[in-house]
Amino acid sequence: MAFIPGQPVTAVVQRIEIQKLRQGDNLILGFSIGGGIDQDPGQNPFSEDKTDKGIYVTRITPGGPADAAGLMMGDKIMQVNGWDMTMVTHDQARRTLTKKKEDVVRLLVTRKSLEEAVKQSMSYPRQ
Amino acid sequence: MFCRNQTARATVARGSALEMEIRRGKFRKSVFLDTSQDSDIQKKIDHEIRMRDGACKLLAACSQRDQALEAAKSLQTCSTRIMAYMSELQRMKEAQVMQKVTRRSSDAGPMDDRLPCKGKVAISDLRIPLMWKDTEYFKNKGELHRCAVFCLLQLGGEIFDTDMVIVDRTLTDICFDNTIVFTDASPGFELRVELYSCCSEDDYSAGSTPRKLASKLSSSLGRSAGKKLRAAMEPGPCSPVSNGGASPLLLPVPSVPGPKYHLLAHTTLSLSHVQDSFRTHDLTISGNEECSYWLPLYGSMCCRLAAQPHCMTQQMMSGCLKVKQCGGDPQSWTKVFAVLKGTSLFCYHRQEDVEANIEPAFTIAVNKETRIRASEKDPHSKVQNICISNQYGGEEVTHTLTTDSREDTHRWMEAFWQHFYDMSQWKQCCDDLMKIELPSPRKPAPVTPKQGSLYHEMVIESSDDLSSTVSDILARRLQELELRSQLGTSPTWMSVFDENNPKSAGRPRPCTSRLSGHSPCTPHRLPRSPVSPHRCPQTGLLSSDASLTSDSDSHCSTSPCSHHHGWPEPPSNFSLLSSSPSRLRPRTLSLDAKLSTLRGRGYGGGGTFQCPCQPPPSSLLAPIPISSRSPRSQRSTQTTLSCSSSTSSNSSSNSEGSHSPESSEGAPFSRPSPARRSLRNLRARLDPRNWLQSQV
Repeated sequence: MAFIPGQPVTAVVQRIEIQKLRQGDNLILGFSIGGGIDQDPGQNPFSEDKTDKGIYVTRITPGGPADAAGLMMGDKIMQVNGWDMTMVTHDQARRTLTKKKEDVVRLLVTRKSLEEAVKQSMSYPRQ
Repeated sequence: MFCRNQTARATVARGSALEMEIRRGKFRKSVFLDTSQDSDIQKKIDHEIRMRDGACKLLAACSQRDQALEAAKSLQTCSTRIMAYMSELQRMKEAQVMQKVTRRSSDAGPMDDRLPCKGKVAISDLRIPLMWKDTEYFKNKGELHRCAVFCLLQLGGEIFDTDMVIVDRTLTDICFDNTIVFTDASPGFELRVELYSCCSEDDYSAGSTPRKLASKLSSSLGRSAGKKLRAAMEPGPCSPVSNGGASPLLLPVPSVPGPKYHLLAHTTLSLSHVQDSFRTHDLTISGNEECSYWLPLYGSMCCRLAAQPHCMTQQMMSGCLKVKQCGGDPQSWTKVFAVLKGTSLFCYHRQEDVEANIEPAFTIAVNKETRIRASEKDPHSKVQNICISNQYGGEEVTHTLTTDSREDTHRWMEAFWQHFYDMSQWKQCCDDLMKIELPSPRKPAPVTPKQGSLYHEMVIESSDDLSSTVSDILARRLQELELRSQLGTSPTWMSVFDENNPKSAGRPRPCTSRLSGHSPCTPHRLPRSPVSPHRCPQTGLLSSDASLTSDSDSHCSTSPCSHHHGWPEPPSNFSLLSSSPSRLRPRTLSLDAKLSTLRGRGYGGGGTFQCPCQPPPSSLLAPIPISSRSPRSQRSTQTTLSCSSSTSSNSSSNSEGSHSPESSEGAPFSRPSPARRSLRNLRARLDPRNWLQSQV
């Protein structure tokens, strides 16, 4: 998932829609994120490219809203409700995910297995 | 020629005395109408006229700028609605006349023009990026030019407006949170989005021209010049459109001195723009830099436009059928109650199952790839069979349906044809059902005087009295923890982390030593340290809480004064944000106020504490962060409670970091099995000391 600065980023993404769970006055999603342009990308255990400063999912609460929606640990979040997540600070990412006024977040996430699935399906000749 | 005793009047001549009388409200148009549709519209027009009068009065009466802007916005919306309803009325009258004409001439032909089903169209998350000059945005040069903006959305006869937003150069985007749902849209809909803005500083009388003068000028200048002039002076572009632009609409709008909105940009969206995700559309910008209401728009608009045609959400056809799968036993007809909805034909065993929400016995796909035909007459039965063929994978599967009577067969075929027609008209909306969320009723958000930009979004609502907030929260935690320990769960996971993190085991923490260790940790903590000693006397809990809730909490808590962990990135992060040093800033938006936001916000563990009896998955969030702190001291459990609450609300706090994945997998409160040891490596790498993580 390396990117070339100045070039458009392309990725095979999956759309995941998470309904926030209301607990009292709080809305939770049930996962944790790591990364950001202000963080050290070398510490990211999920990224292929150790210069990738994107936002990654580091933990999923089992049974939580994110788990139910199909988010997986290690996913890289590209967009949240239309907002870009590939070039944001960690705090910006967290804030975008936890807006109180929004009950649902629509993520675009990418993972290695998606790219591979596409490659595999392209390599099979159509019948 | 108009005959006054004819009940259906085709048109009311523009500029005629009758039109003026109607507009002045002296006559009700319903005197001349007989259909209920027209009277509905007339009622709506009357309602809007009343609203508009109210808005005018309010505008004249109010003194505060915000109120004036809101009233002007309502005025704009009402005027637009009135014009739309009037043109709708016009069109209906004309359609009635056309119908009568065609019927009379009796060459109408077979009236089997299929009409596609209607649907719901929803637009949400409107976002319009701005493009400030860097001198304006970053260096804060020049005076702060503020505009009030809102969007007017029109589809068919429905017009809605969004909330008003004050925009100045600290904003990067204009965001409208509203979700607007139009309920009766046809596939050929045109959704017109208009962005109106009004400078919120100037003297109001400067920009407004009395309307009578405007219309006089426009009529004397001729049609096209007058249109331009009117467009320049009037806020709404609809006036030339709705009456053909021939003559100005002499609506009796009093020229109230007050803020006037001008059209800044517009665009039209249609079915091709509908998608289940966010898209960017181009805006046509009117106005230039010289206008008072100008804003530097980037030129595009992002939004989510979704559509739910009724064929996807409603039952299009239902009835009893007998189904047989092709290739099966010729006599194996299954009696089912079938419901045609969306992209499938659901076959239930009994009709009652539909209401009871029981899973259908089986489902036959009815989508764009499906082929349906009526088969030749079966010699055994007296009715034709319907064959539905689908491609599943590489093979073709055919189901045969039969009904009891020829009329039923005909009705089902008709329903299928209509369904296919609908799907061909609604195109991509029929691939999958798009979700439309109705805005949920929630507590009204606290009114923020200024909407922050992307960089300053969090609003901290609580008071400055952080210490009492902390003690409240901790008191609650104590109760909850007691309940939790009664369930017998706490000891187990506490011991788990004993072996896991020997470093943090057995570290008694007198508050002073922690605090003294606290400050040298990073010099940037200074803004926070004045707060900590203040809290220390209250309870020992609070001191640990203070260190936890300060910016790099887990950093400090696991590495006390004895040793400092290198933490390359976050301190630099904080140095950016703690730009106003040393004085206690109660509202450093991103860094502080975990405590104040604890109450209002979602904190991963905290929320679950309110009901300890919640099912384990959600309660997992709670013990996880707790456990990471538990071994340290007797009061560690309470400590962890507070840090759990601080996690999600603090960008830099990540108390759950390395420990959370552990108990989140498998049984919540049992020791991790040896099989999970392999994941420990991962967890070690997820050490928050090295790499910041946040729970959302």
